[in-house]
Amino acid sequence: MQPACSREMQAMDSLLNPTHHLPLQDLQIHGHPPPQFDNPTPSHDDFLEQMLSTASFPLSSSSWSDIDDNAFPQGGDGGSNPFQAMKMMMMMQQQLLVAGGPSAAATGGTHQGGGEGSNSITSMQALFNGFGDGSFSHPQPSFGADSKTDINQSQGPAATTAAPEKPKQKVRARRGQATDPHSIAERLRRVRIAERMKALQELVPNANKTDKASMLDEIIDYVKFLQLQVKVLSMSRLGGAAAVAPLVADMPSEGGGDCVQTSANGGGVSLPRNSNGDQPSSANDSLTVTEHQVAKLMEEDMGSAMQYLQGKGLCLMPISLATAISTANSHSRSPMINHVNPNNGANGNHLLLQSSGGGGDGPSSPSMSVLTVQSATLGNGGVDGAASVSKP
Amino acid sequence: MDSQLLNPTSLKSRFTARFLRALTKINAPNPISSSSPTPREIFQRYRRIKVAADKSMAYSVRSRTTWSRATLSRLRTRSRHRRLASFGPRSSVTTAAVLKKTSSHGKENEGGLGVQAGELRELVPGGEAMDLCNLLDETAHYIKCLTTQVQVMKTIANLYSLE
Repeated sequence: MQPACSREMQAMDSLLNPTHHLPLQDLQIHGHPPPQFDNPTPSHDDFLEQMLSTASFPLSSSSWSDIDDNAFPQGGDGGSNPFQAMKMMMMMQQQLLVAGGPSAAATGGTHQGGGEGSNSITSMQALFNGFGDGSFSHPQPSFGADSKTDINQSQGPAATTAAPEKPKQKVRARRGQATDPHSIAERLRRVRIAERMKALQELVPNANKTDKASMLDEIIDYVKFLQLQVKVLSMSRLGGAAAVAPLVADMPSEGGGDCVQTSANGGGVSLPRNSNGDQPSSANDSLTVTEHQVAKLMEEDMGSAMQYLQGKGLCLMPISLATAISTANSHSRSPMINHVNPNNGANGNHLLLQSSGGGGDGPSSPSMSVLTVQSATLGNGGVDGAASVSKP
Repeated sequence: MDSQLLNPTSLKSRFTARFLRALTKINAPNPISSSSPTPREIFQRYRRIKVAADKSMAYSVRSRTTWSRATLSRLRTRSRHRRLASFGPRSSVTTAAVLKKTSSHGKENEGGLGVQAGELRELVPGGEAMDLCNLLDETAHYIKCLTTQVQVMKTIANLYSLE
């Protein structure tokens, strides 16, 4: 093992204190009292396990194992994945920073100790090799395998959070828990969860949290917010109790002809808004008042009249179309159609139509009442044909 | 996904079509002559619209996701509640029992996220019986659909509330 890892060893030595026979933990936590590494066992894999299990770092520990997975299978082709190596370096460093302070990172790996210890050590060495030369040769497969099992297992119980992109890693047996299906399944689970958290992060705004728990909190809040928005929007379409009284709007809408045209086209299929609460008067009165209002508005500006009507859930359409619709509707739903005649209508003959179904819950039969429209007195024949207001 | 601007089969267009149809059905019966409706009426109408929105969204998704299936079954159960009072308690009890049985199994390994996972389960329909992995999947799709819903409803509300 020694000769095989000599290169790594030298690289490590350049980084580390050349104290050849220090146990791993001392090297790791150089200068820091390692309270969590009270374990005096000379077995380095135990130490490694302990260190990794006690450290709670924001990085996913499974990524650590991924790093190892990626580190080793390259087989002498270390130069092909300098990026991965650097990634691993950074993650390793971050992890160690959390675990034991800056010196730990500096003293990252160790040189090999005994036979077994070298397994875990070489894994670290291999990672830190990236610092030195950006490539590391493939250590003995057994070492890699063993140390990986070790790290894998230790990270099982550790807290995990969303990790940076991890390529699909092969499942490799590790020392101690070589073929434990639980740890492997566990690791796969964490990987998948992390992937999904990433996807969610993109959907949810303000997703700059690195912590899984806070990310979930953010997601929960966002879902609540969206549901609330749907509720509010469905209320708003009612018109609500504080109901909409859209009087004349200043905004210049389309010209008169266009108005009628668009409403003619759209009138048949326009969605009526529930116009309620507008007029405090009773049913018939409201209608009359509406007519008057509309007539008045039409004198001034067609656009504002249209606005007003739309606010009430009505629209203008040619009489021909209105009659067509009413006959069609009378077959399907037999809505109630009131044709109202505004006395001082602005344009030619026009109808104020409103159709309403025959009572949602009540069994009342729909009645059709038609009040014909008389031609307006105003000579404003701008709109040929009849303009009618209808609410389909 | 098509490269067209208006993908006729996209979630958005499917939902919009269904929702508009439902809205016309809801709006049609209301007589314009009813002046300020009572709060009860308002609430009823609001309920109908909200249900229509959720239903049309769930229908647009068909049964591809668990939450859509849960929403649809919930809506059907509720409508059945209204129509046939006798059926109601039975169906709700069965569903509850089924959910209880399945929910205990998949939720062992949540790490330290049990609290949030539980909350998420409450929010996402049908989330009770899913493990964290699937729950996150469902949440992603659910969020996407909710945003579509909100967008469409906002547009419609804007169009017809010109002031």
